[in-house]
Formats: sequence, C-alpha cells, structure tokens
Amino acid sequence: MTTTLFYIIAGVTAASALLAVTLRNLFHCALFLALTMFGVSGVFLYLGNEFLAAVQVLIYVGAVTVLIIFGIMLTRNVMEEGTRALNGQAFLAVLTAAAFLWVLHQALCLSPFRPDGPTQALATVANYGADVNALGPALLLPQNGFVFAFEFVSVLLLAALVGAIVVARKDPS
Amino acid sequence: MSTIPTAHFLYLAALLFSFGLFAALARKNAISVLMGIELMLNGVNINLLAFARHWGPDNVTGGVFVVFVITLAAAEAAVALAIIIAIYRQMKGVNVDEVKFLKG
Repeated sequence: MTTTLFYIIAGVTAASALLAVTLRNLFHCALFLALTMFGVSGVFLYLGNEFLAAVQVLIYVGAVTVLIIFGIMLTRNVMEEGTRALNGQAFLAVLTAAAFLWVLHQALCLSPFRPDGPTQALATVANYGADVNALGPALLLPQNGFVFAFEFVSVLLLAALVGAIVVARKDPS
Repeated sequence: MSTIPTAHFLYLAALLFSFGLFAALARKNAISVLMGIELMLNGVNINLLAFARHWGPDNVTGGVFVVFVITLAAAEAAVALAIIIAIYRQMKGVNVDEVKFLKG
C-alpha cells in the first residue's frame, strides 16, 4: 500500500515536472512547478526526512513559487499568443537531456545502487522526529565541520537579499 | 514494512534533472529557465537524501547538504528574479535570446 502510494507520488511528480517545462502558458507552468515541489516533499517523507519535507513545502511551494508568480505578473504581456515558447535549439536540448538521462541510467546500472541491488527499509515509525534532533548538532557542532559553511551561507543569504533589492530598484536618474 | 529500492528514487531524480536541463536549454522566457534550474536542484536534493538513506538511517550529512542547497536555491531565485525585472525594465521583454548587450 505505502509502496503503491510512493509510485503514484513519483508519477505525479515526474508528470507535473514535464508539464511545467513544456506548457506554453507560463502561469500554468508555475502552478505545475508548485505541484512538483509538493510531490518532491512527499518523496522526502518516504526518505524518512519529515523536517526537510516541511521545509520543502514552506520554501519552495510557499516562497519560491510565489516569487516566480510575482515575476510572471511583473513581466506581463511578454508571452503573447503566437510567440514560440522554445528557442531554435529545442531539438538539441531534447537530445542533450535524453543523452544525460541515458548516461545516468548506465552509471546507475554499474553502481551499487542498481535496481536489483540491496534495498533499504523505509524509516519506521520509531524514527519519526529523529532527523530534526540529528540535524541541529550536525550543522552546528564544531567537530562536524559545517559551522563555517552554515555562517557563510547565512551571510550569503543576506548579501543576496540586499543585492536583489539593489538590482530590482528603479534607477533614480 | 515495504521497501523501495534506492534506484527508483535516483531514477525520479534523474528525470527531474533532465526535465530541468531541457527547460534551461530550450525555453525562451527567462522565468522558465529559472524554473528549470529549480527543478534540477530538486532532483539533486532527492539524490542526496536517497544516498543518505542508502548508507544508513543515522546518516544526516545528506540532510545537511540539502539544507545548504535549499538556502542557495532561495537566494538564487531572489537574485535571478531581480535581474529579470531589471532586464524587463530595460528591454520590455525577458526573452533570453535577445539579451545580448554584453556580447563582444
């Protein structure tokens, strides 16, 4: 039952991702992107990471998709009917993406993660919440070595915020 | 308890990454390109967590990397949309084919 649900979620995620990159109407693309993010959040649950599933919904569905929809609204009337959604290298792009997928498939078949290899059990109910308890120390204990990256990323977030405001601001002159 | 092979997570991630790659290469609208990049980052996140689970339930390094990737994706989305809005103001369009005033 839970396995079936996973494949349904995975199918919906992949299908909505395909629609998000191929539909002509940009607004529909953004909505299907939100559905994809929801699906990815469900996959995170299957990977036993409830905290990151919640973060995924908060940040991607709640913030990034809204930001993208704002962007679509602010750059309105760009994609009128009759204009093409794809540029001249669409065929080459399909070829590149398919070749990339094929290479990944070949690499997967050679790796210890191949489909007929050993499988891992799903996270059991007793493990729920364990990821949050483990994530904080993993990020901030000095012996794990992520403290500098953590602080650096917070400074980078601030710089990106200020930079975004400066770039998007109307030129006073 | 039912089990799902790690490979199936990896295939889903590969599909998401390929779709994102296609969007980043072939779409005309800059916002579509941005959506493609977000899709690629999501595929990478699934990969990281799948590998972390494969090597044992106590492995949190994958989760730590996902936190960093999500943070960078949020920062990237904010800056990219600011640039897109600035370009729209300058050129009255966000077609990436036409943005070439830096070309030598």
